[in-house]
Amino acid sequence: MSEEANRMGMLDWRSWPRLSAICALSLALGLAACGSSSSSNDTNTTPTSGSPASGGGKEGGSITYLMGTAPDFLDPSEGYTTQSAEATWITYTGLLTYKHAEGAAGGELIPGLAEALPQVSSDGKTYDLTLRKGLKFSDGKPVKASDFAYSIQRMLKLNWGGKSFVTSYVTGATAYDKGKAKTISGIKTDDATGKITISLDKPYGAFANVLAFPALSIVPTGTAMKNLSASPPPGVGPYMITNAVPNRGWTMKKNPAFAGFKIPDIPAGHLDTINVKIVSNTQSEAQQVLNNQADVFDAGDTVPPALLPQIKRDASDRFAAQTIPSTFYMFLNTTKPPFNNALARQAVNTGVDRRAFQRLASGFLKPECYFLPVGIVGHPDAPCPHGSKDGAPDLAKAKQLLKQSGQMGAKVTVWGEMREPRKEYVDYYTSALNKIGFKATEKIISDETYFPTIGNQKTDPQTGFGDWVQDFPNPSDFYLLLNGSSIQPTNNQNFSKVNDPHVQSELKTLDATPAADLNSVADRWKALDEYVAGKAYVYVYGSEQDPQFFSNKLNWDSAIFHPTYFNDWTSLQLK
Amino acid sequence: MATTQPAQPPAAEPLDSDAPRAGIGPYRLAATRLRRNRVALAFGGLFLIIVLLCLLAPVYASQIAHTTQSENHVTDQIRVGGKLRDIVSPQGIPIGPTWHGRFLLGADQNGRDVAVRLLYGGRNSLEIGLVAMLITVVLATIVGTVAGYFRGAADAVLSRLLDLIWAYPAVLLGIALGTSLALGGLTVGPFSLKGNSLMVPAVIIGVVYIPYMAKPIRGQVLTLREKDFVDAARVQGFGPVRIMTAELLPNLASTILVFVPLILANAILLEAALSYLGAGVQAPNPSWGTMISDGIRLIPSGIHLTFVPGIMLVLCVLGINVFGDGARDALDPRAKVRLEH
Repeated sequence: MSEEANRMGMLDWRSWPRLSAICALSLALGLAACGSSSSSNDTNTTPTSGSPASGGGKEGGSITYLMGTAPDFLDPSEGYTTQSAEATWITYTGLLTYKHAEGAAGGELIPGLAEALPQVSSDGKTYDLTLRKGLKFSDGKPVKASDFAYSIQRMLKLNWGGKSFVTSYVTGATAYDKGKAKTISGIKTDDATGKITISLDKPYGAFANVLAFPALSIVPTGTAMKNLSASPPPGVGPYMITNAVPNRGWTMKKNPAFAGFKIPDIPAGHLDTINVKIVSNTQSEAQQVLNNQADVFDAGDTVPPALLPQIKRDASDRFAAQTIPSTFYMFLNTTKPPFNNALARQAVNTGVDRRAFQRLASGFLKPECYFLPVGIVGHPDAPCPHGSKDGAPDLAKAKQLLKQSGQMGAKVTVWGEMREPRKEYVDYYTSALNKIGFKATEKIISDETYFPTIGNQKTDPQTGFGDWVQDFPNPSDFYLLLNGSSIQPTNNQNFSKVNDPHVQSELKTLDATPAADLNSVADRWKALDEYVAGKAYVYVYGSEQDPQFFSNKLNWDSAIFHPTYFNDWTSLQLK
Repeated sequence: MATTQPAQPPAAEPLDSDAPRAGIGPYRLAATRLRRNRVALAFGGLFLIIVLLCLLAPVYASQIAHTTQSENHVTDQIRVGGKLRDIVSPQGIPIGPTWHGRFLLGADQNGRDVAVRLLYGGRNSLEIGLVAMLITVVLATIVGTVAGYFRGAADAVLSRLLDLIWAYPAVLLGIALGTSLALGGLTVGPFSLKGNSLMVPAVIIGVVYIPYMAKPIRGQVLTLREKDFVDAARVQGFGPVRIMTAELLPNLASTILVFVPLILANAILLEAALSYLGAGVQAPNPSWGTMISDGIRLIPSGIHLTFVPGIMLVLCVLGINVFGDGARDALDPRAKVRLEH
């Protein structure tokens, strides 16, 4: 999930404590006092054959899940943030989805509502899938192949943040999006056979990953073409979203019908109910979980550093820092001085201390120097070409490089955003640039306007903060940021403005490689990433780590920390 | 033996009498009154000490702390009590006060010396407060005098302009202006300010407080312009500019002087509020407001990060306010000027 999409307003849940307490108590007693009429009292639902072993935990029960940041939308056709995907992933299963597993295994694509992985034509432009038989939405309506075409149309109409993944490739999607066509010509469906055929204008190897986005999941034909976050539409998944109050919270109830579909590798979940509450104060959020007053601290939130020692001391058996595939970096604009000079860029990569960022992140950052993070195919193992990953920087060499570049004393404006610890990253980075010999000053702007501002050609920033958290586990997702064709006058994502012929030539082949064949081109991705690091087009300093933090009521051993969707809610289980 | 008593001098008039006395000008009289107000003088002295300490920031930074206001020491170590300690721990917790030269009051999360930043922050806060106060005093005096003297259309236009600024809450107006100017800077004719310049918040605060001073001045001018001495000046053929500068302004002096400390204290407070909210002093420049904001997330483990700049802010504003009250009483014991927002 791109990080810039991960900022939103939030309301304070504390103004609603009494009602939430009554709801939680009622739900725990099975009274469904706050709930919708849909029944989910089947507490003895057994996991499917593919579900993880219960590991000593019990089935059923209710927990309280705290989130410091509210999801952008709970409507699957609009949600694009991590917080949204955590819930919609297990509520709206896509034609394809990811294995419920940790680490690299969690990046494996598996069939969801489709019977099997897609059959891709030899030119890489046609994807054939077949819908499983007997599927029903959570409201009991049967799922039809044509529902998929309708769902994609709805997603485009609702202007999903990642819709360019569809409009850039699926034939006729742009015409539909612009209102020039009534349907998407590149999507053909047959309700009788359940067959779905998707035609692309050009091959895109990661398209199977695109099909796994919750936004491309299936909702019933006729679902209103408007934001339904307050009353999310029916889906096919282990859980259903009920009692949604935007920016306050919602309830996840087990979908009693899902286990009957017997979809391999998709667990039906252990808990009956997950009460999600939005708590804008992360200090209070962490304190409640530490004191076992709530059960889960959302992985998308930052643990207050002041509480870390206490958490590590008192809750070491229910706390872990999990590295997720992400790249935190400082972009270096290669089209204007001083960073159009390779030696100046190398000086930055040599002289800025990556360990400092780890401390500024309260330890929740793993120092790295390559653009492709650990966990993504193609991540190089070689030592850093410039500077050290986790050792002291070579300041003398950095100064020498800068002197050779003729850019000693060059004026640099460093761009950053207000939120912690990103402002602190930029503070440190600016100070480090000055130590090397640049004359750097900061420009810190609000979080909301940061990425649109630095992505505007009129701003054309020299250097500043950048980050990318995977949309899907494919190196193409990361190299979008270094692809010359991504350079745009507005909403530019290639902040360094890298337009290297070698990179472009390699991406032409690598981007077309089907996701299922990624491992066959792993070495080429690795070589490309080493080439980019050698050119020092960006200053990469690490991968984000997120907290996995539970109350002592939860079974830690059964919990899965998924590389894309963080806490796998279907794996949460009471002891 | 007969003794002769020396002649007794006539009893002196009490010094605190408000009656004008021959030979003592109003400002000398005010100074005499102020000297008798020990509390006001003590707080004035406190403010002066803070100013002096802040002015010595570069000396302290280079000679004692051996660092600068923005230099990061995130991965450095320091010897405290014979033991090497991280200035910022791997978990991101900064070192507390060492009570020695280096990191006397501890470090912030970026490993910067809090004492150094406190003094530089004070310099910045005072500098902004002073410039803002000058802008307010000069512009408010001009606007208030012109509006009050000319009345009619000029008064209507200027008063509505002041109402417009006044109608907007000072902090919100400051945030709106501060956020937009921090990005693009400020250019007015030949004058240009960069977005990260300290003068940007100074100008914003100076403008925001103009109505609070201009309105009372306008009211006073409306009264003064009807006085005989103004009529006499007109009869002598003096033009409006000369009447305003030579006749009205000296009569406004005590009011203006009373406003100076009030505006200064409020400007420092507003600067702290704007900086706390990210619309004032821009990073990495310190101010007491930005220091409090930066220290918030570490309150449980590093309360000094918010406590120390907070205390300095309180002492500084208290010093100005109490001294200002004393000055007001001395200049015009009957005046009751209150600045509210």
